Amino acid sequence: MKKYYLIARNTWDEVLTYRTSFIMWRVRSVIQVLTIYFLWSVVVPPGKTLLGYSQSLITTYILGTLLLESIVLSSRSYIVGNEINSGNLMNFLIRPINYFLYWFSKDIGDKAMNICFSIVELTLIFLILRPPLFLQTDPFYISFFILSVILAVFIYFFINFLLGLIGFWSPEIWAPRFIFITILGFFAGSLFPLDILPKTIYEIIRFLPFTYLLYFPIKIYLGQLSFFEILSGLSISAFWVFAIYFMMKAIWQKGLKSYTAYGK
Amino acid sequence: MMTGMVSQNAFVSRFGAVLFLLGKLIRFAFFLFFLLVITSRTQAIQGYTPWQVILFYITFNLIDSVAQFFLREVYRFRNYVVSGDFDYFLTKPIPVLLRLLFGGSDVLDIPIIALSVGFIFVALSNIGPITTPDILVYFLLLINGFVIAMSFHILVLAIGILTTEVDNTLWLFRDLTQMGRFPIDIYQNPLRSVITFIIPVGVMVTFPPSQ
Repeated sequence: MKKYYLIARNTWDEVLTYRTSFIMWRVRSVIQVLTIYFLWSVVVPPGKTLLGYSQSLITTYILGTLLLESIVLSSRSYIVGNEINSGNLMNFLIRPINYFLYWFSKDIGDKAMNICFSIVELTLIFLILRPPLFLQTDPFYISFFILSVILAVFIYFFINFLLGLIGFWSPEIWAPRFIFITILGFFAGSLFPLDILPKTIYEIIRFLPFTYLLYFPIKIYLGQLSFFEILSGLSISAFWVFAIYFMMKAIWQKGLKSYTAYGK
Repeated sequence: MMTGMVSQNAFVSRFGAVLFLLGKLIRFAFFLFFLLVITSRTQAIQGYTPWQVILFYITFNLIDSVAQFFLREVYRFRNYVVSGDFDYFLTKPIPVLLRLLFGGSDVLDIPIIALSVGFIFVALSNIGPITTPDILVYFLLLINGFVIAMSFHILVLAIGILTTEVDNTLWLFRDLTQMGRFPIDIYQNPLRSVITFIIPVGVMVTFPPSQ
């Protein structure tokens, strides 16, 4: 396990090597969240509620996505497709290292750095804007929230890796990822709580894996789900973890059979 | 002419071009749907009616897409400086600033531009009584928005020459302009003043539909 710990720590160092890039990336994340925060602040003014969301709940939801994006969506494994295309994958296949764990460790290093920064950013936002926030104190919701976040981390890692595997068959790895990011931006719930959508649409998208990346964990944190809804959501989440994992393993094996690399 | 010639590059990989175009259309449609959902639930945002809110978003989209269409080459500038290709451009008998601004248009933005123009006319016809001078001022301010966007891209090139830092500056600019997807009235001061007077996102994107 020590080598994977070192990989995670090295990723932390890599991020610090390109400090300007990373800080600008964080500034951009804050700007994106602030834009949505200000929108919702005027949509749900103090003392009013919209579809069960008071201002404190909606601001907690939106600012909560900043922290959750750091935990769930920050990742380095988007580079897998490039590694396959460039032939660098061969360097890993001949080493005594598990390629999945290698990228998962890099993701963990990246997440650790992003989490630290997002905590500082949230503190500054709180000190400057003084938004009304909802603080969950019930251990029941907090423990299920943590469990849902762990599942979300795995779902995102496996989907990300799966997209990279397109590199085995096509050099066009960014276009599918562009579509994925676009869909993710909408269906993960970073723009708005998904349950404000018309009921029929919500009933369909609640079976998609994206719903369980940001929206579902925050809903648990806000204490807006019943025990049955939490259990049902965690079951769907766990289903996607296993389904995407097995799909990824199968495609990886198939891809390796057709993989060729020259000159390295 | 330069923009037209380099447009063919986008179709080197047809599969990629189709996917990128699809992604842009999905993004456009999803955000429009998001605005419709919010405005249908609240009837108005900061006093703006649904069609007015849509006009703000479409105006942002038009200015952003036209800037992307013409000025995409600026995104590749860092690579030219680092690889030394920039020196090659300097030896060519063509104004290097024009080459760097217009030498790599993104033709995949054309459908979004066409959609935005169509939606602008639909939104304008649904907003209510608008006089001809209002429409003229709107289109003049649109041109003003394009000029501000181009000026910012020139500034990015200048920073790029000095520091080779291009990508982050550009993306920061794009994120700031995205604040103009909504009327700037929703932002609190001092942020509102910053995006009106210092980085004129408000003047660039929000002022045209406000007229």
